[in-house]
Amino acid sequence: MPSPDRRRFLSSAVLGGSAVAGATALGSLAPETAFAAPRIDLDPGARDPNFAEGRITAISGSLLKVSGSDKALHRIYVTHGTSVWKLRPTTFDEIKVGDGLYARGVKMPDGALAADAVWVNIVNMDASITAIDSGRLHLDHHGGKVVGHVVNGTTAAVYNHTPAISDLSGLQVGKHVKVIGAWRPDTNEVDIATVYAGI
Amino acid sequence: MGCSNSGAPAYGEMSWFCCGAAWGPCGSAGGGACGNCNSGSHQCAWPNASAGCFNITRPDQCGESLSRRTCGHVFYVTSQCSGACVSVSIADCGPDTNAFCGERTCCGSACASNRIIDLTPSAYSAIASLSTGLSPVRIDS
Repeated sequence: MPSPDRRRFLSSAVLGGSAVAGATALGSLAPETAFAAPRIDLDPGARDPNFAEGRITAISGSLLKVSGSDKALHRIYVTHGTSVWKLRPTTFDEIKVGDGLYARGVKMPDGALAADAVWVNIVNMDASITAIDSGRLHLDHHGGKVVGHVVNGTTAAVYNHTPAISDLSGLQVGKHVKVIGAWRPDTNEVDIATVYAGI
Repeated sequence: MGCSNSGAPAYGEMSWFCCGAAWGPCGSAGGGACGNCNSGSHQCAWPNASAGCFNITRPDQCGESLSRRTCGHVFYVTSQCSGACVSVSIADCGPDTNAFCGERTCCGSACASNRIIDLTPSAYSAIASLSTGLSPVRIDS
């Protein structure tokens, strides 16, 4: 089981130049390890220096260049120790220019972020269902229309007490839902990972 | 006070939300009820941030008795999955607790019911993976 110290090793090794190859031999981090750190000492309300968000403007090797929504520019290193999510746990080659992301890692002395985890195009939407048709949920998200695509083999529903199941027949027009999914960049469409159905 | 040492903690589900400048469907989220909410800061939404907020979220309809806490109030949120803790300040109203009354989330043997707090992506990702969407937590004030 990888330890937080090992995570720090992977991150700090990024600046060493041969870090990506070195990380390959060590394997990736289990999610429970990446978030097993103790107390996060940061003033409440303060900007987190170990977190970044924005749109990817360029990919160079293992480096993501990201333009933050607040216009800040970020450089984010992805190693073989970085967990990557894009609709599902996936790999670096699925990341594309134009994707949105959230990233958490360790800020390096040169200002780059060595990523422990990257969530690509992830959304968590509060919405109500306005229509259901073949393979799609039509959603009202704060007054805007969003189309949610059902992805066979991936999309799951959670109905209050139930575990996640692939049966979406319990979803109803007019009902409130929360949707974890992956945005299709520059559209009002998302691919649905999990839909949580309220009462 | 701090993580896991207050006299009357609250237990429930946490989720996450975006606010401030953002991309995708989050792009219109704005600065939240307190006007200073930002996805990159350690902040939260609380269902009883004001009387008007409470009238929307109605955690009492799910049997939750949550104290009135206003903009800037600090909570310590501890994941029941990882044991990790993060401090957050109130920046918005939410979640819509009564829309999911009775919902239950477990992490091993640790379970919690009802959505009682939403964290910004930076805060949530400090103690859990964003892809989980929901997680059981303890909240100290």
